Amino acid sequence: MVACSKSCIWELGGDNMTKKRLKIVGEVLRNVLLLIYATFALFPLIWMIIITFKSDAEMYNTLFIFKPTLINYQEVLINSQDYVKAFIDNIIVSGGAVIISVIVGVPAAYALARFNFKGKEDLAFTILSFKFAPEILVILPLFMIYQKLGLYDTYFGLIWVYQLISLPLLIWVLRGYFEDISVEVEQAAQLDGYTWYQVFWKILLPLIKPGLVASGLLAFIFAWNSFTFPLLLSGFNIQTVTVASLRYIASDTVHYGQMAVAATVAALPEVILALLIQKHLVRGLSFGAVKG
Amino acid sequence: MANIKLRNITKTFGKIKALDQVNLEIKDKEFFVLFGPAGAGKTTILKTIAGIEFPDDGHVIFNDDIVNLVEPAKRNVSMVFENYALYPHLNVFDNIASPMRSPLYKKDEEYINKQIVKVTSTMKIDHLLERLPSQLSNGQRQRVALGRSLVRDPNVFLMDEPLAHLDAKLRHHMRTELKAMQTQLDTTTIYVTHDYMEALSLGDRIAIINEGKIEQIGTGDEVYYTPKNLFVAKLVGEPEINTFKGELAEVNQKVKMKVLNQIHLFDLELDVEQELKKHHSQHVIVGIRGLNVSYSFVKKDDTQIEGSVYSFEPIGNKTILIVKIGDELIRTIAPNDLQVDIDQKIFIEFDFKNAMFFDMDTEELLVRHNQEEIIKEVL
Repeated sequence: MVACSKSCIWELGGDNMTKKRLKIVGEVLRNVLLLIYATFALFPLIWMIIITFKSDAEMYNTLFIFKPTLINYQEVLINSQDYVKAFIDNIIVSGGAVIISVIVGVPAAYALARFNFKGKEDLAFTILSFKFAPEILVILPLFMIYQKLGLYDTYFGLIWVYQLISLPLLIWVLRGYFEDISVEVEQAAQLDGYTWYQVFWKILLPLIKPGLVASGLLAFIFAWNSFTFPLLLSGFNIQTVTVASLRYIASDTVHYGQMAVAATVAALPEVILALLIQKHLVRGLSFGAVKG
Repeated sequence: MANIKLRNITKTFGKIKALDQVNLEIKDKEFFVLFGPAGAGKTTILKTIAGIEFPDDGHVIFNDDIVNLVEPAKRNVSMVFENYALYPHLNVFDNIASPMRSPLYKKDEEYINKQIVKVTSTMKIDHLLERLPSQLSNGQRQRVALGRSLVRDPNVFLMDEPLAHLDAKLRHHMRTELKAMQTQLDTTTIYVTHDYMEALSLGDRIAIINEGKIEQIGTGDEVYYTPKNLFVAKLVGEPEINTFKGELAEVNQKVKMKVLNQIHLFDLELDVEQELKKHHSQHVIVGIRGLNVSYSFVKKDDTQIEGSVYSFEPIGNKTILIVKIGDELIRTIAPNDLQVDIDQKIFIEFDFKNAMFFDMDTEELLVRHNQEEIIKEVL
């Protein structure tokens, strides 16, 4: 440190320069890292889309350069009706599950947020506990019960079992939203001359909308992607896309191209839904309603 | 327009008794103030009248009809909530319009516009109509809440500390406005506050509430000059009333008062003397307001008590001077330009004509000089 006359001067003079350089290096480094992450996150999706355009013959011996073909799409969507039916079935069971969950979950969440009754927390915890056990653990007893009750391989049966996935999510998210709305807001609306149902539609619903949309979307995605339940509790009359995608693993070969088409098409509704309701996913409306 | 009666209202929250046998009678077109410390049960009374809290026991009566089972919406009451309770997703205009658009109290849009322009200009919020509640300050929110209530023509206005979050100047302005509005609207108003200035200046009558019980109901002057007990006396007035023990002594068949370990026995007015003679105990609590304590820096005679300056707190247009005598602190009022040093020697004199005497055990008012005349005079 003592004997540094020359280099010290150089360092002092170059201080600004070094800072600038460090900054540039930092920027570059950050971008490189982000790029690596983006590749890591997006590449599987890109790869999936790429192989939808590959024929089975080119599947294993080409990377990015190949002769694109729509044969896989034709095979999955046009030549066979199975996948399209599975797609529609999936919409029916997932959509149905979310609709039932909303109809049941909104009043349940309201009750859990507003009223004090015996065993309230226990009930709330029980609902949450539906999500604790892995699906595969409960599937065997469920399978037996469904066989006996005649729910096996029915729309209603699947919609019902999907409540295990979607209902706890909706109730717990919406409960928080209802708790955020001060009771006085409801009371004020009642004094203004609205009945409870009008208060619900005009005041409460708009305020929980962000939560309702977000949790409804998540519930839909979880139900849509569910595999274990539809695999074991249905399969003949009703098939979902996740289960239907399995058929492309044949005994002799795996049709990766067709499977990729199935997966890509299966992801579309989620992506479209998420984009459509993105603007409703904004929280923060309820802030400032009451004394800060 | 309605008179409102509460009969033996009792309300408990879990183990806490919020209201205990509350009886109230509010006359038609009266401005009635509920005044008390935090947690006394004032808001619960309002909510019981509004119908959003249900009493465990007792009756709520509007114009001789028991309304216990009438829904809040149908009682036609207009309430200002302490935490505003504005609708977060509606702008100021729609918030204020809400009661006039409800199915029960529907008005046409032209009327709504007119009313909103009127009320928002009085409230000085007419430039904020497009804003959401989250974009307003607390004082502005409070005025929106007040506006939403005032656009109606209800049986009764229920106001829960509607001015608590306004700055001093605006509060004064709104207080005047409210008073004027009340005479103009000619509607019963029940007003909750913990500010005694508001209570005294606005209320035709004041009910003082403590721990779910009504301590006293009376006009502002009644509660100020003849508080029913020590609690009321301490609650009303600034600085807080001075209270200390007094001992009665009989000298030549005259009852005199010994206070603060002084040798001098203080003379009492004749009516006070007679009343205290009948009292069963020698000990009483003396209450004297700071206004009735004078001070000087030189001793004139024995009626003056020596003490030392304990503190000196300017509160704007006057100063509260606290004098220490023995272990007691006596508050008095001094002009702002008074120059004193802490611990300086000072002499104070009590004006026993304006003193109040309370029972030692029950803390109820025994007597004050000219009790009847004072009340008659101000009435």
